Amino acid sequence: MRQDAMLMATALKENGYMSGSYKPAYPSFPRQIIIIVGGFGSGKTEVSVNLAKFLAVSQKTPVTIVDLDLVNPYFRSREATEELEKLGVRAIAPRGEQFHADLPILLPEVKGAIENINGYLILDVGGDSQGSKALGSLNVSDKTNNFDMLLVVNSRRPATENVETSIATMKRIEYTAGLQFTGLISNSHLIDETDFEIIKEGYDLVKKLSKETDLPIKFISAKENILQNSGINKFKCPILPLTRSMLKPWERGIN
Amino acid sequence: MAKKLMKGNEALGEAAIAAGALNYFAYPITPQSEVAEYLCWRLPQVGGNFVQAESEVAVGNMLFGAAATGKRIFTTSSSPGISLMQEAISYMAGAHLPVVLINIMRGGPGLGGILPAQSDYFQAVKGGGHGDYRLVVLAPASVQEAVDLMIESFDIAERYLTPVMIIGDGMIGQMMESVEFPKKYRQQNDPSKSDWALTGAKGRSARVVKSLFLDGKKLEDNCLKLEAKYVEIRKNEVKYELYKVSNKNKVLITAYGTMARICQTAIDELEEEKISVGLMRPISLYPFPEKEMFKEANKPNILAILDIEMSTGQMVEDVERVTKSIKPIEFFGHTGGIVPTPEEVKDKVYEMLKKFKKDKKKS
Repeated sequence: MRQDAMLMATALKENGYMSGSYKPAYPSFPRQIIIIVGGFGSGKTEVSVNLAKFLAVSQKTPVTIVDLDLVNPYFRSREATEELEKLGVRAIAPRGEQFHADLPILLPEVKGAIENINGYLILDVGGDSQGSKALGSLNVSDKTNNFDMLLVVNSRRPATENVETSIATMKRIEYTAGLQFTGLISNSHLIDETDFEIIKEGYDLVKKLSKETDLPIKFISAKENILQNSGINKFKCPILPLTRSMLKPWERGIN
Repeated sequence: MAKKLMKGNEALGEAAIAAGALNYFAYPITPQSEVAEYLCWRLPQVGGNFVQAESEVAVGNMLFGAAATGKRIFTTSSSPGISLMQEAISYMAGAHLPVVLINIMRGGPGLGGILPAQSDYFQAVKGGGHGDYRLVVLAPASVQEAVDLMIESFDIAERYLTPVMIIGDGMIGQMMESVEFPKKYRQQNDPSKSDWALTGAKGRSARVVKSLFLDGKKLEDNCLKLEAKYVEIRKNEVKYELYKVSNKNKVLITAYGTMARICQTAIDELEEEKISVGLMRPISLYPFPEKEMFKEANKPNILAILDIEMSTGQMVEDVERVTKSIKPIEFFGHTGGIVPTPEEVKDKVYEMLKKFKKDKKKS
């Protein structure tokens, strides 16, 4: 892992991070396997892709991302493969004709990547307990103390709209995955209609959830320009800056 | 109600509940399955019913029977599933039954693929089943519009006693957008006051709901009764949207559904290059905005029309028909789930304008 803060800052700036005046605290990951889980449509893929990009840019260590989404037919992290590979991220996802399949394809490379772990391994898991079935079939539990399983919370989605539904969602996922959560991600958004109020609303929910579950808030994920304009220092936790990768065909990748 | 982030398929399910439609029959198929997934837990919360049938053929016939009771009923499916329902759709049209059908279109023909497409235009608009009938066909371009049209479609179905179909390319079902629902949800309707629904004949004479008329005269009467409704529908239910239409436009683009939004991006970028293009987006594909499209096409500033679809060219036949090909019409499209990009739309416009410049020089 890259220790030199100056070098890290330079690398981040070169890749479009820290473009404004504010200085956020970035999240750090002492464990190698990072499992991103949550309800349907909470933003797991966008968070996973952005986390892979961030780690690839900021850390001097290999990063692998696995598209474990066996539930969704469109908007999966495999669609960002090219973008990720440019940054040196290894992306494991079905290719060729199977790229578009709505079949539960679990590639043999996934088990290999877990057993012979090298650098960071990000698992982008499909939605809710249905999506977590694929996770349950992998032997991640053998790697005790070397994985983080993080819940993506979006207060504008039914599975995580309040503390009660979030805890119910967590229980369902833990049951099928056979793994326990280790942290929370605040990712409240309405895609391009996201404003500071929504990010704040999500952070307040995750704070309550953190108190209730004793799980730490690992980071807030949000677009840098929104935070830039509205007082980032209000949050006492690390920030993962987001740029949107999952664009609709009529959208341009500005933010 | 605060804005929520919803997948199109989930939002369609919630919209039906908002419309007081609590009886749902369906069979899962990509890219529409999340409607069934959503409603299987959501409908029981509001006292509704969801029957997962053994096939789409069964769904069609369940709809036929359930619609005859006068309750608000609906189904959702995707292209191959809608093909399997065609017999029942023809029967329901012939029997004057209100029902709402959703087709989240994927690429065809045959089993095709699971990516977005608009290749069921002919099937929806020109009659996928047999006989002299029409469907009211509505095509949303956003998740919010899908919700609004879904709610309205039950009213249209009941007003004319006819099946209404909403067609959305796969993107409409799969994409996530922010959406708002009405503050007040509709109560389930009470068919006991209707003069046609099968509500039990106690205290009144029996009613018959059927599409079988062996006597030629009676069958023709039924067809004329249907046609009279379609005349009213053509008069009252036309919906469309114009985007950046002005007397500076050189080209008029016609596109529907999410394809129109891709064209809007192209139009915005062309505008920055001082190339003026307008868009006409039919929202009701039947009734088609016939007079309105002719009027736009006939404007002296319009040199040509460009129709763009996720198909090999289906709606374009209606564009040709209603504009009487008064202006040259070009078509551009992709199939198989490949979605035309704003760049391709722009390239097509450049190509057309170049042609006009050349022609001008010649003359």
